[in-house]
Amino acid sequence: MHSNIIIIPMMVALLIPFYEAYRDDNVWQKLLAFSSIACKTALITLVASVLRDDWMIGVVGVLILSVGNAGLMLLAHIVKRVNEA
Amino acid sequence: MTENITSFVGYAFIALGIFLWFWGTSFLPRKRSLLFKLHTLSVSDILGSIAIIIGLLVKLPSEWPLLILAIFSLAIWNTILGYVLAYCSSAGVDHE
Repeated sequence: MHSNIIIIPMMVALLIPFYEAYRDDNVWQKLLAFSSIACKTALITLVASVLRDDWMIGVVGVLILSVGNAGLMLLAHIVKRVNEA
Repeated sequence: MTENITSFVGYAFIALGIFLWFWGTSFLPRKRSLLFKLHTLSVSDILGSIAIIIGLLVKLPSEWPLLILAIFSLAIWNTILGYVLAYCSSAGVDHE
């Protein structure tokens, strides 16, 4: 019961960047929304794993936090180079 | 008695984190500059998430290695990502 009280508002907070990514056409605003989605999903994964006492899902959450952001950084540099060309 | 206090403190931190999430993300759909949104999102995603993780640490100390690693990963990688997004998006924009 307690985990639902925590995870449902987190899911609602996750919907806002989804709406922003769908609505805005500017590539940087979309990238910003996706970085927020990545962080929030990783946190939801981590909260779910701790409340279920299952470490494996927790490791996935931590991996998303570190590797996912690295991917977004590379994408930002590529978009910058494409804009300059 | 201490069980109730730690549970309350844990939930308080988690509630603070979720509040920061909503506060920071509420600026996203509005017509504001990218750097302003980046700032509020950084505050909400990094500080809010760290507050949530501290709440989990208080409630379930047995998983402390994983959660400490998540805090480091959040604090370092999200901050650097915010810097890279700000740098790349303002490339070619003259600030003088």
